[in-house]
Amino acid sequence: MIEVVDLQKSYQKTQAVRGISFRVQPGEVYGLLGPNGAGKTTTLRMLATLLKPTGGSAKVAGFDVVRQPLEVRRNLGIVNGGMKVYDKLTGYEVLDFFGSFYDLWGPKLKERIAWAAELLHIEPSVLSKQVRQMSTGMQQKIVIARAILHQPQVLLLDEATAGLDVFARRALLDFVRQYAGLGKTLVYSTHVMSEAEEVCDRVGFIDHGLLVFEGSLQEALELGSGSLERAFIRRLEQAA
Amino acid sequence: MNEILIIARKELLSVVRERRVLFNTLVLPILIMPLLMFGPILLFGNAARQTQESVQKVGVVGVPAAVLEELRKARLEPVQIADPQTAVQNREVQAALVFENGRYTLYGRLSRGTASQSALVVGKVQAALRAYKDRVVAEQLRARGIGPDILEPFSIETKDASSAQEQAAGVFAFLIPFFLVMFIQSGGMPVALDATAGEKEKGTLEALLAAPVPLSQILLGKGLAVFVMSMLSTIASLVGLLLSGGVVRNFLAGRLQTLQSIQGGGGEVQLGGGLALDPLGYLSILLTAVLFALLIIAVLISLGLYARTFKEAQSYTGLLSLFTIIPILFLQFSDFLKLQDWFFALPIVNVVLAMDVIVRGAATATQLLTTWAATLAYAGLAVYLAYRSFQREDVVFRN
Repeated sequence: MIEVVDLQKSYQKTQAVRGISFRVQPGEVYGLLGPNGAGKTTTLRMLATLLKPTGGSAKVAGFDVVRQPLEVRRNLGIVNGGMKVYDKLTGYEVLDFFGSFYDLWGPKLKERIAWAAELLHIEPSVLSKQVRQMSTGMQQKIVIARAILHQPQVLLLDEATAGLDVFARRALLDFVRQYAGLGKTLVYSTHVMSEAEEVCDRVGFIDHGLLVFEGSLQEALELGSGSLERAFIRRLEQAA
Repeated sequence: MNEILIIARKELLSVVRERRVLFNTLVLPILIMPLLMFGPILLFGNAARQTQESVQKVGVVGVPAAVLEELRKARLEPVQIADPQTAVQNREVQAALVFENGRYTLYGRLSRGTASQSALVVGKVQAALRAYKDRVVAEQLRARGIGPDILEPFSIETKDASSAQEQAAGVFAFLIPFFLVMFIQSGGMPVALDATAGEKEKGTLEALLAAPVPLSQILLGKGLAVFVMSMLSTIASLVGLLLSGGVVRNFLAGRLQTLQSIQGGGGEVQLGGGLALDPLGYLSILLTAVLFALLIIAVLISLGLYARTFKEAQSYTGLLSLFTIIPILFLQFSDFLKLQDWFFALPIVNVVLAMDVIVRGAATATQLLTTWAATLAYAGLAVYLAYRSFQREDVVFRN
């Protein structure tokens, strides 16, 4: 579960996030949609405790992002489009490295790696290759596998399909629905409306650091006469 | 603690997979040390010996026949020339000798000191003239019934009174601190930059920061990996240094003696390149090196974190190298300085000076304790600054 209340982030002269609030329930995929520079990545980084909010509050899996950052990180996985893993390590070594931070060792680690590999359609033999020898899509799957290895309650995906080919993108979208089906809480941040339409249960439109719309996917589609993209553009134009 | 080791292991694993870095850090110092230390001197010694043994042309103007004969005996070939200055400048001859109004004038290309073939040939001509002069003086004294011993009423012998440690380190004493400092820095640099700026540039740092590991442990893990590589590189350079010193002392001493005799060095010059310290001396060197490594590693990590890219980080560390090289250059002249205890509180300078006095067996307790305390304080400050940098969002997400 995620609870965000009046969350703000300011840099010296810029207010990147100007007080947004939303909740995401377990088993739900929440689409955080907005143009580039709207504040999506900053919001997710605050939820992942990578950035400190300058106002408001947020709880992830019941833990406060400012006061309990380590507990938050233990219950959260994050993937963004620019995120990479160590290219000189093999896929297995990468997962071993990150798994060890969540007390995953030996048979338990192997079991989790097998689980993640199956969920993401990663051939076990690929894991023995160094990451730099893998395709971009496979590298992104390793990035995601790293984020879900500890089966976090909350998964944040930020432009996670950037740079992926059609097959890898398809596998990722399927995975999002599957992971939500396990009762997990997901935030899916993107500017690609078709993806959001496919995987999200509820959506929030963010622009200039403000949430200008929040509702179910159905409500958003109605607002755009059956098109999420139209709803998005209308709402942002109204807010401007 | 566990997380620190896990992170350090990962960093080292990445290095092991990068054969180029591994070679440059661990193998190259062993191979390059003999070349750096003794290559130029051996090469020059060899060239000097060849110059001694072979025959070179010497331009002559108005030189008497007896002197010409003396030159030939010294394996020189006198050739008559018109303009000695031009002939030497144009390299028609390596040296030229002019006799005019009872005075010999010797021409050579001497702007590069003794490190030129012309200077060596000038040395040969001078030696031939000295031999001729001594013979003429001896003959004239004998004609007057005086023995040549009158010219040498006493003999002069120079003895090296430096300590056993100084003799072992020899004329290369200052190179030992130089290489220790340089290899501590250069050994840790690739790992430090890859673990910081490299991670930012490649987009791997964010995934690590999102793991449930305190920043302090991430920093210490990376620092530990840099420390290991730094120390391994230093050990490799020391092995190279000691091996090359041993090889030269045992197998190439003769060649170097030729060079010393040509250069006119007085007494027994210790080539050195070795260490002859008691266990406490070795421990002192080790402790100084470890503390210096802590300081340099913290500075490297701070710079690496601040930089947006690996290249930007390299430009910062280039400047850092200058800060370490300058004190080492001055170390060559440390014998002319009256060492004050407060010198040993100056950052980097103190490490270089401390290593120098340890290698020479001349360290005092005050000097060493001041160096260690000051370096530990500087290292602590640098670690704190690195940690603060790591906490700053504008630094970590600066790319």
